[in-house]
Order: sequence, then C-alpha cells, then structure tokens
Amino acid sequence: MSDAYVSLQNLSLAYGNSIVVPDLNIDIREGELIALLGPSGCGKTTTMRAIAGLMAPHSGKIIIDNVDVTRMPANKRGIGLVFQSYALFPHLTAFENAAFGLRLQKRPAAEIEERVTHWLATVDLVHLADRKPAEMSGGQQQRLSLARSLVMEPKVLLLDEPLSNLDARLRLEMRTELQRVQRDTGITMVFVTHDQAEALALADRIVLMKDGIIEQLGTPDELYNAPRTVFGADFFGFENIFEVSGQDLIGAKGKMPVAFGVTAGHMAWRPGAVSVGSGPWEGVVTGVAFAGEKREYVLDTDLGQIKAATDASDPAHQIGDRVFFDLPEAAAFSISG
Amino acid sequence: MALALPAAVFTALLFLLPVTILLSEAFTINGEWSLQGYVDFATTPLNQTVFLRTLKLGALVAFTSAIIGYACAFCIVNLEGKSRGRIFGLVVLPLMISPVARTYAWIVILGRTGIVNDTIVSLGLSDTPIRILFTETAVFIGLLQLFLPLMIISLVSSMENLPRDVISAARVLGANWFQVFTKVILPLTKDGLVMGGTLVFTGSLTAYITPAILGGSRVLMLETLLYQRVNVANDFVSAGVIATILIVMCFAANLLLKRIAKARS
Amino acid sequence: MQYKWTSRLVIGLTLTFLIGPFLIIVLAGLSAGDFMTFPPEGLSLKWYLKVFTVDSFRASFTLSMFLAVFGTIAALILGVPAAYAISRYDIPFGETIKTIVAAPIIVPGIIVGLALLRYLVVPLNFTVTLALFLAHTALVLPYAVRVVSASLNNLRSDMEEAAVLLGCTRLGAFMKVVLPNIQGGVLAAFILGFVTSFNQVPVSLFLSGPGVRTLPIDMLSYMEITYDPSVAALSALLAFLSVIIVFIAEKFLGFSRYV
Repeated sequence: MSDAYVSLQNLSLAYGNSIVVPDLNIDIREGELIALLGPSGCGKTTTMRAIAGLMAPHSGKIIIDNVDVTRMPANKRGIGLVFQSYALFPHLTAFENAAFGLRLQKRPAAEIEERVTHWLATVDLVHLADRKPAEMSGGQQQRLSLARSLVMEPKVLLLDEPLSNLDARLRLEMRTELQRVQRDTGITMVFVTHDQAEALALADRIVLMKDGIIEQLGTPDELYNAPRTVFGADFFGFENIFEVSGQDLIGAKGKMPVAFGVTAGHMAWRPGAVSVGSGPWEGVVTGVAFAGEKREYVLDTDLGQIKAATDASDPAHQIGDRVFFDLPEAAAFSISG
Repeated sequence: MALALPAAVFTALLFLLPVTILLSEAFTINGEWSLQGYVDFATTPLNQTVFLRTLKLGALVAFTSAIIGYACAFCIVNLEGKSRGRIFGLVVLPLMISPVARTYAWIVILGRTGIVNDTIVSLGLSDTPIRILFTETAVFIGLLQLFLPLMIISLVSSMENLPRDVISAARVLGANWFQVFTKVILPLTKDGLVMGGTLVFTGSLTAYITPAILGGSRVLMLETLLYQRVNVANDFVSAGVIATILIVMCFAANLLLKRIAKARS
Repeated sequence: MQYKWTSRLVIGLTLTFLIGPFLIIVLAGLSAGDFMTFPPEGLSLKWYLKVFTVDSFRASFTLSMFLAVFGTIAALILGVPAAYAISRYDIPFGETIKTIVAAPIIVPGIIVGLALLRYLVVPLNFTVTLALFLAHTALVLPYAVRVVSASLNNLRSDMEEAAVLLGCTRLGAFMKVVLPNIQGGVLAAFILGFVTSFNQVPVSLFLSGPGVRTLPIDMLSYMEITYDPSVAALSALLAFLSVIIVFIAEKFLGFSRYV
C-alpha cells in the first residue's frame, strides 16, 4: 500500500460503549475524490470526523502523507472540513471568515489579502467579501465555506453532505464547481453522502458502508453495474431482488417456480428489466405513475410487490388490471451471496 | 467538567451547605436528635393558621392568575407583530421593578385614606373607611400583581408554539369556544400552565415583602412568621422547621406539577 | 369586531392592574403635603429631591449598586464556563451539577440569608458585606447559566469545530468564535442578574449590619418609621431606572425573550 496518501488501518470508532465502526481499512490515493456512501447511521460521518481529528479512535491508526496522525489534535492536522451546515462564523464578513485560519497563523497582511482574494475569486465571491454570512444565499454560503477550507491549502479536504442543503439547480452547479476545484488543485477529497446519484456523479471511487462495515469499495461503474451484495444492489436501484433456491424464486409473499441456470444466491432486476404485457406469470396492477419517458408500475404478484417500468409509448394498463409479466433471466443480475 | 465545577462547588459550599446545616438544626434540640421541634410547631394554633393561610393564598393566587393569564395570553398571541411585542414588553416590565416599589403602591390604593376607601366613602357606600390593608384580600391582590406576569409569559410562550390553524380547524370541526379551550388549547399549552403555575405558587409561598407590607403582623405568612420567630424570639428551631416546610413545599410543588405534566402527555 | 373589543378590554384591564399602581405612586410622590395621600395635596418636587439628601438612602444605594454589579460579574465569571460545559459536553454528573447550580432559585431567599448569617458571618467572622456579595453571586448564578445556555444552544457547535480545524485551540475557538456570537446573551444575563440582585429582599433581610443595608431593606425600614411620600418618590425613581434599562435592553437585545 505504498501509494496510499490517507490510510485508515484497523480503525475502530465508538461513542461511549456503543461501537459504530468495528474495524475499518481504507486506502486513499493522493488527488483522489472518494465518496463515503451509506444510509444514516452507517458510520460514514463518524469516520470522517475521525479523519478530521474531531473524535479519537477507539483503536487503529490514521496515517496521512506517511505521518501517523492518530493522536494528533485536530488543529494541527492541516485538514479542511466543509460542514453540512457550513458552520460559518456569523460575526465575521466573508473575507474574515476565509482569512480566519491565516490570521491564526499570523501570516503577513499582504499574503492573507492575496490568498483570500484568490480563493474567493475561485468560488466567485470576491464581490461579496464584505458581506456577513446572514446576508448571503445558501449557495454562496456553501462556496464561502469551501473557500475558507481551501485557503488553508489542506492536505485532505473533507466534505459533509456537500450538496444536500442546495436546491436541484444549485446542486448541479456545485457539483461542477467541486469537480473543477478538484481537477485544478489536485487536492485529495473525501465526501460523505447518503445519495447514490451524488456519489456516482462525483467520486473516483465509492466506499459503500453499512453498520460500520464496508459493503463494497470500487469505481462508480463497479458499484452500479456489479454490486457484490444484496444491500449494494438495492442501494443502486435494483428494486426487485429475490432469493433463488433450486428451481424456486422466493419473494416476501411466496415462491414461483423458475428454471434458471443459477440455483442459489439472489437474482436482481431493475424496473426496466421487467417486461410487462407478456410473459408466463400474472399480476395485478396496484399503482401506475407517468414519469415522462417511462411509465412506472407497481404489480402485486405471487412473489410480492414487483416494480416495473415500460416505455411510455407502450400500451398503458390501469390500476386493477391483470397483466402478464416476465422476469427474464438474461436481464437479471446475479448475486452469489 | 472542569469548566462547570467552580460554579457547582461555589453554590454547594456557600449556599447548599449552610442551608443544609440550618435545616438539620430543626431536628436537634439541646444537641440531641429529635422531632420535638416539629411537634411543637404543628400543635401551635397560630402556626396552623399561618401554614394553612400560606397554602390557601398560594393556591388562590395561582388559580386566579391562570384564569386571567389564559384570557390575556390568548389576546396577546392574537395581536399583530408590532403591538404584540409592545404589549408583551409591558407585561414583562413590572418584573424588572423593585417588589418593594410594586407593593408600596398598594398602600396608597388600599389604605384608610387610599383611593378605594375615598371612593367608597364619597359614594356613600360606607360611613367610615373599611379595612382592606392588613387583610388577606390585600395580600392576595399584592401577590397577584407581583406574579401574574410570570403566568402570562409562560402561557404566551407555549401558545406561540401552538401549531397554526388548530383553533380554526377545531372550530370548523364543530367545537364551540368552551370545547376549543378544553380540548385543544388546554392540552396543548399545559406545559406553559404547569410552568407558570409552579412559578406563581412557589413565588407566593416564599414571598416576604408583600405579606410584610400589606399583611403586617395581622396576616402572617410562613416567611413573615419565620422572620418574626428569629427577630423577636431568637427561636432558631422554629425557623428551621419553617424553612424545612417551605423547601419541602417548593420541591413538592415542582415535582407534583412535573408529574401532572408527564401523566397527561 | 366584537372579539377585537373584548380583546382590547382584557389586555387593557390586565395592564391597568399591573402598571396602574406605578402611575399612582409617581403622582403620590409629587405631593406637596407631608403625608401619603392620593390624589396628592398640591404638586411639588420636594419629595423627589429629598430622596437624594437622605444619608441612609445614599449609602444603601451604593451598597446595592456594588452588589448588583460585582455579584453579577462574579456570577458570569463562574456561570459562562459552566453554561458552556453543560451545553457542549456530555459531562459526568451533568444533571447533578445543573441541579446544584439551579438550587438558589428554588430555595427561599430568607432561609439562605439566615443560614449564611448563622454559619458564615457569626462563626467564621465574614463581614456582612462579603456574605451579601457571596449570597447575591449564588443567587444570580442560575440566571446567568440559564440565559447564557439559551444563547449557546442557538449557536451550532460545528462552528467551534470549524475553528479548531482552521488551527484554533479549544480556548481560542471559544474566545474568537463563541464569545462574539453570544455577546447579546451575556449582556442580557448581566442585565437580568443586575436587576434581580438590585431588587432582592429576602436574602438580605438577615444580612444587615450597622450601616450595611441594601436599598430595598432600607426602604422597608424607612416605611415602618415614616409615612411621608419620600418612599413613593424613591420607588418611582427606581421604577423609572428599571424602565429605562429594560427599554434600552429590549431595543438592542430583544430582552424579553430571555426573561
């Protein structure tokens, strides 16, 4: 693991007596953009706080740039963190917020002026330098928070749900902004999110976590197309996952006889892979939603609920209709676990 | 921990410790552990009267302030932004003014030559001034004026947290105003009522100035009785007994009202 | 329409009951006569002026001012760190500490005064002034903790973490980031503490010595001896002082939400 820039080794994290992360190992390369992804309570935020030094690990090591920082206090680590709430200082102007860290280091005024202005320009906030945070929009506060961290030229930049407080349009803008900053500076970034789309769009690699354990670590492609676990498949949009046992497919409500090549593990279908209107089985439509290019169905079947999506141009079915459907083996993704 | 310790140690050492010693003194007579102080206290008719009067006035003041408080708080909450802040400020204001000054005003109003008596005599309702000062009525009025703001403040702040439109919703569903009050407002503001009730009740139990000025030695309450026992008779055992009773009643009121709040939620 | 008038009537009557008496003592103090009457017998400012010439009032006013200012400052010095620890850290015995610090609100003041007299002043030779100072500090402390805690709770704690990550120590983060943002709360706590201490009677009741009396106690004993309008005048002056303080505090701090 010589190319690891940030290395978490056998990291165990606990709040009091409750262990949140039992034994975590992650290696992050320099200049990489990593997403810690998972539902709330999976330990992703705790892990991020441990990297920042805001909580002490129960055991294990954190190594950054070949230095063991496990016991190093947060204010000496040189790590930036963009808080979900931005955590801007309400009593200071945008400029002074960004200059906060440099002033603590007692840098010369000229250097402070230059660096702060440079980074405010990078996030397009120079014209608002004299405003207080309360006089700025959510997006502007977010960018100021980013600039405040970047001014310090941190070894690693951590971002806590960086897009979650923004509306859809700003989210796209900020996503582009983050990618640009990352490309321009080559800074190593770790961001925490519960939104799979955000992780897929931004990250070089994704760490999918559940209950403090890594479910899967890989590129967005690998996680989206080749989930290794049922949890991962579910998280990345395989909405129909059934257990295979011999010649049976087992759902929440019951079984259906099939003749698949696979005889154990799980099979998963995205809604689009389910065919509606023809097939060997019958189900009842319990929900229909028109979603532009697609029409989404909820079917009640012998297996339980199945979610399907057909092209909007296909013949439509109504709630209460009995329809034929198929779960084609060729369109299925097979999970061995 | 280290930050909070100085404050806790300060209060414990300079406040709780002396008070605890004082309370324990009521349990010792001539150096021996004894409940005699309590027995003597309880069997003296004057003490019984004072004890019951203190309880009665406390309860009466709390009850009356709750009724006025609900009416007033409801009106305040329904005012528009600016005048609402102003009126609320006027309600808070008396709390900032010396209770001595606040109580003194009632002498001018309720005294033998005060406004009330002047009016009564000039209207011919009575030939001679009637006694209002140094009666329970005077003490009641003084305490009510002193503590009513606490009730209004508590009720206003809990009414502000009422979900919008619940009252309209209840009206639309067919409730009359009495039902709106008992079924919607009361359950939703009971925290404020409990809070205000505790403040007013314990405040009245432990008030000194009002009974001292408006009640005098005719209408003793527990606090004025305690002062008298110490200053006139140098009787520290009785003082300790009264102190214990006061503290127990205050804590009991706090606990009881908390319990009521919990049970009903 | 009918509701509007009912509402005005309710508020009007309540405010008359709460505030009307002050207007009466203001006028009673303006009397030209030698006894308290209302309406006053002729108008004059003599009683308002007399207040300033009574030696005991001057001395007790100075003592009350001293206690209110320094007792409150001492309470803030103890209370701000305590409030910070309680609202930010999950400290061991947090609840116990909170209960101890809050106790002076629940324990009747007269008992505190008596206890301090018997067990600090008499046996340990504390001066009455020192005992008064300690008692007032303990009394104001819970208010200081409560008001400062309230404004700390409105302040997100991740701001301090942000400051630490930018290189601050914990103390530095408190001084540079927390304190500037709770200024209003600290000031409000000071005003509330000052007023509480200044108007306090029961605690000071037993803690009086020769020449050592707080202003409210002095007024009480003056009333027992003399029935002239000077106490009304003094009461009115004190009320004005409070009104001015509260008015300014409300204007700049939105004070009433802290009460």
